[in-house]
Amino acid sequence: MKIKNFTNGLVKENPTFVQLLGMCPTLAVTTSSVNGIGMGLATTAVLVCSNMAISLIRKVIPSNVRIPAYVIVIASFVTAVGMLMEAFSPDLYDALGLFIPLIVVNCIILARAEAFASKNNIGDSMLDGLGMGLGFTMSLTILGSVREFLGNGSVFGISLLGSSYQPALIMILPPGAFLALGVLLALYNSRKMKKAN
Amino acid sequence: MKEILKPGAVLLIICVIAAFALGMVNELTADRIADQRAAKNEVAKQAVLPTAASFTDLGEDALATVVADYAPVTGVYIGVDASGATVGYVFKSTPSGFGGPVEVITGIDMEGNITGLRIGSHSETPGLGAKSVEPAFYEQFAGKSADTYVGVSKTSAEGNDIQAITGATISSSAIVSGVNASIDAYHMLVEGGNGN
Amino acid sequence: MENASIFVIMVSAVLVNNFVLSRFLGICPFLGVSKQVETAFGMGMAVTFVMTLSGIMTYLVDKLLLSNYGLEHLQTAAFILVIASLVQFVEIVLQKMSPTLHQALGVFLPLITTNCAVLGLSLLNIQYKFNLVQTIVHSFFAAIGFSLAIVLFAGIREKLQTSDVPKPFLGFPIALITAGLMSIAFLGFTGLV
Repeated sequence: MKIKNFTNGLVKENPTFVQLLGMCPTLAVTTSSVNGIGMGLATTAVLVCSNMAISLIRKVIPSNVRIPAYVIVIASFVTAVGMLMEAFSPDLYDALGLFIPLIVVNCIILARAEAFASKNNIGDSMLDGLGMGLGFTMSLTILGSVREFLGNGSVFGISLLGSSYQPALIMILPPGAFLALGVLLALYNSRKMKKAN
Repeated sequence: MKEILKPGAVLLIICVIAAFALGMVNELTADRIADQRAAKNEVAKQAVLPTAASFTDLGEDALATVVADYAPVTGVYIGVDASGATVGYVFKSTPSGFGGPVEVITGIDMEGNITGLRIGSHSETPGLGAKSVEPAFYEQFAGKSADTYVGVSKTSAEGNDIQAITGATISSSAIVSGVNASIDAYHMLVEGGNGN
Repeated sequence: MENASIFVIMVSAVLVNNFVLSRFLGICPFLGVSKQVETAFGMGMAVTFVMTLSGIMTYLVDKLLLSNYGLEHLQTAAFILVIASLVQFVEIVLQKMSPTLHQALGVFLPLITTNCAVLGLSLLNIQYKFNLVQTIVHSFFAAIGFSLAIVLFAGIREKLQTSDVPKPFLGFPIALITAGLMSIAFLGFTGLV
C-alpha cells in the first residue's frame, strides 16, 4: 500500500479541478456547503466500496464484459448507500434528490474502476478511492461554501454577513453554479501558472 | 460457444449477488424509512393542530369527494382530543409552486381559526421560495381566520393577509392557494356547504 | 405533473427545465463535445435517439417488471443495465444498417452510457408518474432541449476561439462562464408553465 495513492486525488489529480470529472453533481447540488459535503461523502462511500469490490473480482471478470460488470457493482453500492441515507439522514436525502441514484453515472467512479481498481490490489484501490472521494468532497464543499456565502450570506447555515447583506441570489440559482466553478477553475489555473514561472 | 458462455455466466453471477445483497439492504432499511416518513408526518400534524391528542383518517369515500372537489387538497385528517371529541382538521394540499408541487399542511380548529401551517417536501428555489419552510413565514398563518380566504400582500401582513416572501410571490401565492382550498374543504366538512 | 398536458410537458422539457442549463444533467458531453457545431449536432442526434428509446424501455421495465413485483429497490441497477444494453444494441444495428450514420454517431455512442441525462430522464419519468404517451413526449423533448443547448453552446464556443481570453480563463473556465450566461438567459423561461 502506498500513501501516494491516497494523496494523489486530493490536489494533484483532484477529480473536479484537474480531471474535470463528475461535473453534473458538482454543479447541481452545491447550493450550500452542507449539500456539497453530503454529496461528496456519499460519492466517497460508493467510490471506496466499488474500488475495493472491483479490485477483488478483477481477475475473474472476462475483459470483454468488464464494463457492464463494473456498472452492476457500482449501481448496487449506489442503491445501498441511497437506502441507508434515506433511513438515517432523510433531510439530506431529500435535498440531494435525483442526484443520489445518478452517482451511478458519475464518471469519476467508472473512471477509477477502469483506470485504477482493475489493475491494482485491494489496499491501494481503497486508498485511491478514499483520496479521489475526499478530493471530490473538498471541491464540492468549497464550491458549495462560495455559493452559499455569496448567495445567502452564510456558510454551513451560519450567517456571517448579517441581515443587512443583500445576497446575490444568482449564485444559488443554476447560472451561479457555472459562474462560480468557472471563476474557481480560473483561479486554480492562474495559481498553477504563477508556480510554473 | 465458450467465449459467450463464460462472460455470460460471470455477469449472471454478479447480477444475482448484487440483487440478493440489495434485497437484504432493502429489508433492513425499509421499516426504518417507513417509520421516518410516518414520524415526520405525525410531527407536522401535531405542529399545525396542537390541541389534538391524536389523529384519525377521514373515511375513504369522504376523502375521495374532498380530493375530487377541492384540488389541490390531497389528504384530510381529523384531530381528536383525549375524550375523543373532534377539535379540528388537518389538510394536506399540494399546489404548484415555482419549481413544482409544494406540500402544504394546514390545521383548522372547530372555531374556524387556522391553528398552524407547515411546508413539507418542495422544490422551490433555495434562498427564495425555499424560505417558506422558515418560521418567519409559516408562523404568519397561525391565528388567521378561516371564515374568509387568506390573502397575499407584498408589503405588510394586515387583516387576513400574510406577507409574501420577498422575491418569491409565486411560491407564497401557491401556498396560500393550498390554504384556501383547505378552507373550502373545511367548510364543506363542518357545515356541509361552501362557506364562501 | 401527473395530468400535465402534452404541450406543457413539451415547453417545460425544452425550455423551462432544460436538462443541461437548469437541471444540470448531461454536463459531461455538454462541455466535452461542444467545440464544433457539427460534432455537437451529431452528439445531440445520438442522444435524442437513445434517450427516446431508453425512456420508453425503462418505462416498460418499471411498469411490467419492477413495480409489479415490488422490486423498486432494483430500479437504478435495472435502468442502467437497460441503457447500457440499448446503447450497445443501437451501435450494432447502426453498424449493420447504416454505416454512414454509424460513422457520424459512432464515437458518441459509448459516451452516452455514462451520460447522466439518460438515466436521469428515466428516473424523472417514473418520479413524475407519467403515462406512456407523456413518457415518450417528455423523453423526446428533453433530448431536443439537450441538443438545442449543446448546439447553441458550440456556436458560441466556435466564436470564442478567435477572441482574446485572459490566459487563466482559457479552455474550461471560459466555457463554464459562457454556459452560466446561457443559463441566465434560460432562467427567463421559468414561470412560463
